[in-house]
Amino acid sequence: MSNATLGTLLVTLGAVSALCGVVLGVFALFGWRVNFWRACTLLVGAMMAAALGAVLVMERALITRDFTVAFVAQNGSSRTPPLFNVATLWSALEGSILLWTLVLCGYVLAVVVKFNSRRHDPMMAPVMLTLFVVCAFFFLVMVGPAQPFIAFDPLPLPNGQPFDGPGPNPLLQNHILMAFHPPILYLGYVGFTVPFAFAMAALVTGRVGEGWLLATRRWTVMAWGFLTSGVILGAWWSYETLGWGGYWGWDPVENVSLLPWLTGTAFIHSVMVQERRPMLRVWNLSLVIATFSLTILGTFITRSGALESVHAFVESGIGPWFLAFFALIVAVSLALIVWRGDVLRSPGRIDSPLSREGAFLLNNVVFAVFAFVVLLGTIFPLIVEAVNGSRLSVGSPYFERMTMPIGFVLLFLMAVAPVLPWRKASSGVLSRRLIWPAWLGVAAILLSVLLGARGAAPLLAFGLGGFAGGAALRQLVLSTRRAGLRGLIGRTNGGMIVHLGVVLVAVALAASNSYVRQETFELSTGDTAELAGHTFTFVGTDLVEYENRVERQAGVRVDGGQVYAPAIAVYDFAGRLIGIPSVRSTLTDDVALSIANLSDDGQTVSLRVTVQPLVVWLWIGGLVMAVGTLLAIIPGSRRTSLMAGAVPHGVVQTPLEQPLNR
Amino acid sequence: MTTQAPNRAAWIVAPVAVVLCLLMLLLATRAPGSTNLNAVVGKGKLAPSLAGQTLDGEVFDLDAHRGRFVVVNFFSTTCVPCIREHPELVSFHERYAPSGFAEVVSVAFDDSAANVAAFFTKYGGDWPVIAQDTGSIAVSYGVALVPESVLVADNGEVIDKLVGGVTASQLESVIATYLESSQT
Amino acid sequence: MKHSVLAAFRHGITPRLLSWLGVFLVGVSAFLYGALAEGAPRTDADRVYALAQNFGCPVCDGQSVAESDSVVARNIRAQIARRVDQGRSNDAIIAELETAFPGNDYTPGATGLSSLVWILPVVASVAGLSGLFFVFLRWQRETQSIATPVDEKLVTEWLSDATTTTAPTGATEPGDV
Repeated sequence: MSNATLGTLLVTLGAVSALCGVVLGVFALFGWRVNFWRACTLLVGAMMAAALGAVLVMERALITRDFTVAFVAQNGSSRTPPLFNVATLWSALEGSILLWTLVLCGYVLAVVVKFNSRRHDPMMAPVMLTLFVVCAFFFLVMVGPAQPFIAFDPLPLPNGQPFDGPGPNPLLQNHILMAFHPPILYLGYVGFTVPFAFAMAALVTGRVGEGWLLATRRWTVMAWGFLTSGVILGAWWSYETLGWGGYWGWDPVENVSLLPWLTGTAFIHSVMVQERRPMLRVWNLSLVIATFSLTILGTFITRSGALESVHAFVESGIGPWFLAFFALIVAVSLALIVWRGDVLRSPGRIDSPLSREGAFLLNNVVFAVFAFVVLLGTIFPLIVEAVNGSRLSVGSPYFERMTMPIGFVLLFLMAVAPVLPWRKASSGVLSRRLIWPAWLGVAAILLSVLLGARGAAPLLAFGLGGFAGGAALRQLVLSTRRAGLRGLIGRTNGGMIVHLGVVLVAVALAASNSYVRQETFELSTGDTAELAGHTFTFVGTDLVEYENRVERQAGVRVDGGQVYAPAIAVYDFAGRLIGIPSVRSTLTDDVALSIANLSDDGQTVSLRVTVQPLVVWLWIGGLVMAVGTLLAIIPGSRRTSLMAGAVPHGVVQTPLEQPLNR
Repeated sequence: MTTQAPNRAAWIVAPVAVVLCLLMLLLATRAPGSTNLNAVVGKGKLAPSLAGQTLDGEVFDLDAHRGRFVVVNFFSTTCVPCIREHPELVSFHERYAPSGFAEVVSVAFDDSAANVAAFFTKYGGDWPVIAQDTGSIAVSYGVALVPESVLVADNGEVIDKLVGGVTASQLESVIATYLESSQT
Repeated sequence: MKHSVLAAFRHGITPRLLSWLGVFLVGVSAFLYGALAEGAPRTDADRVYALAQNFGCPVCDGQSVAESDSVVARNIRAQIARRVDQGRSNDAIIAELETAFPGNDYTPGATGLSSLVWILPVVASVAGLSGLFFVFLRWQRETQSIATPVDEKLVTEWLSDATTTTAPTGATEPGDV
């Protein structure tokens, strides 16, 4: 059986299983629950097998260069290096959806395994129904507008050579990060499906207390960690490959990956309020729904061509499908919230604004405004065009100006909130707990000024960064003093490590944005240019042939030491010219070199040089955040007592309302 | 309480739903990837100044061509539509230049003088060609992609901008429309 | 920190108060010095780069002129450099480019429809913060009364019952919150 046929069969099997699951879920919802869980397990197993099988078939087709599959003929090639051959799966739309579906089925399988002991809980019926609906949507997309396994007849080329594909977009096959960034981002995006399913189930069953939160807490944190890593890896990838010396351009595609991150971050914090006090029920449900629906909206925006983006995904017919699905999610969620309006009224309240919960509320308002700014700036050109037909751009100056004050407020909250006790804080406690973090902030400002940093905004960022970092360190020092290395695990301590990562990222953002220097030099062989204390000598050009491309490299000696070789690559099939930058990273600053123009004789180069301080700390900060997330998932010592205090009032206790994942 | 609460939720949900509906309508009705590269710089206004050294070593100045219609043609030697439109420009030039009714001037877009000279030897065309330091001209005429032709009237006003290649008859009809409308 | 200052005055000058004074003195003076002192001189190249970041490349979908290496982006960068050289102001340079390539100025205007993109976030922040403020205010006022109407009804019923019969033990906390 050919790969195309086998793949189509598997996708169809998945779609049928998912649809059966939907039917099963609907019956279960109305009380017909005979063998419900066993059927669920079977169907999920079938979906997982179908998705995994389809991905394996596609990978086999890609690796063996089976051009009878149209996807391989369009995106694969015999010259693509092996690693990128595997990664070709997610370099184009159909393969991306396939990967997304596999990740989704993986999560659903995990839910079935993890919640097997709760299988008699009435909440599991709507949970599984929601998950089946989402799965069915993605399988149907693969049956409909984005079929991965279309058969293709690879005729020999006119010159008698056997057929060969063009290979993936050159930008997607010149850096190792491309192999990791999309799968990790998908693990993040898709992961929010699970808390979404539980939120829906909470609404359907009317058990909108705290049970569903506790049940999905670690799922949410894990998805958040993957999303964080995915976003930062994406920034790193664009920094290393696009050659403009930047890592974040406030491009629509980047913005829509930030949106669920913002709402997800808000959710992770406000959950802690609801666990303590039976309040914010609608708000938390809305945040989960918003996070999930924003991943769908983001996919629509990136794949439909509705907004212009440098991440030139090919436009496709899936746009209306995703928009319709988004509409369905929003309509069902809003209807359920209205329907459950009576039980959603939260009896809880907060004693004092100067308390941990008060700080979390403020945090949520700030994150909501942050998300609003990003969403508004992203779609504002569409609004203007719809109203008066004129074209308008909203770019980085807008986003930077609007988000900078928000960032300052968040850094300040990161400093103060972790030392605030729950319920009510006295000024004496605050004064005692904050004095050392404050000195750390002052030290950060002092050190930056002594090192020559100038300007209000970056100094404020460094000072607040030191302050926030100090507060996080204080918590970690106290808990490790008490519990040794175990003081680094658990939600609070892991969270503080995440905070340290955020501080690193914030400081790196402020420094690299404020003190970036860029200049383009016209250099003949032997010439030397100077920028920001670094020297650049053009030593000559070199022609290097690779399997899939020819590179014209310009040798540039940096600071009289090592020679770096930014290049212009010609990919032999499409003849596309791609600039390949070369970056020298150190802990203090990065020098990014790229070729703006190279004369035909190779004697003169137009060399673009970007010098940015502290860029490498963005990636280190990202790593710290990922590690912190992992540590936060490991249960800490205080978990049991914390959850005992979280049992909501006035809510009938059912199995799911009790703490899970112990 | 039980009768009041759903209403309250509805009051919060309703505006959210309205905003989201508008958003989805906006996204659904947006034509994919529409841009306005066809926006005409200063249509009906005086054309931006255009002066430079031609391949022949002479100095071309648009202002010296008042009284004639001028086709300012931006092109590059490697672009296929440019090669395709070139014979049309040649026939337009042959028809209207000798009488002094119209003139063509070509401005190279990111190309070397040698390549441009070879291009004109190969494909013909006997009119002023500016090949060096053309970046500034291209920017002031708002040229982002080639081929692009800006039609300048005899009084120095911009009539229209034609993107993606022209034909002789197209140029004629644009001029004819302009003459008709300026008479009334 | 006003409260801690007051508290400290009540208890006399404590070492911690001195420490906080030190934080403010050192922090504020270092910040002011760094914020107001002359930084490294901004070169023309820096200005060109900043301007290029503020203008979208007309043909490259979401990249600024500073980022793109397309021909038109290189032309515009060169034009910006020329204008900076000629001593034009930033606004004049961007305005000239906006006439040639309309709709690519990355900073939306502060007038007309486009001003909404600046105003709405401010409105949203003010609404969010004042909403929070009023919620806290209400909670402060309601500190004593946390029983729901249902609870209150139960209490009244129980009280009216209590006048005739003896209250059952264990039902003394009707609004158990």
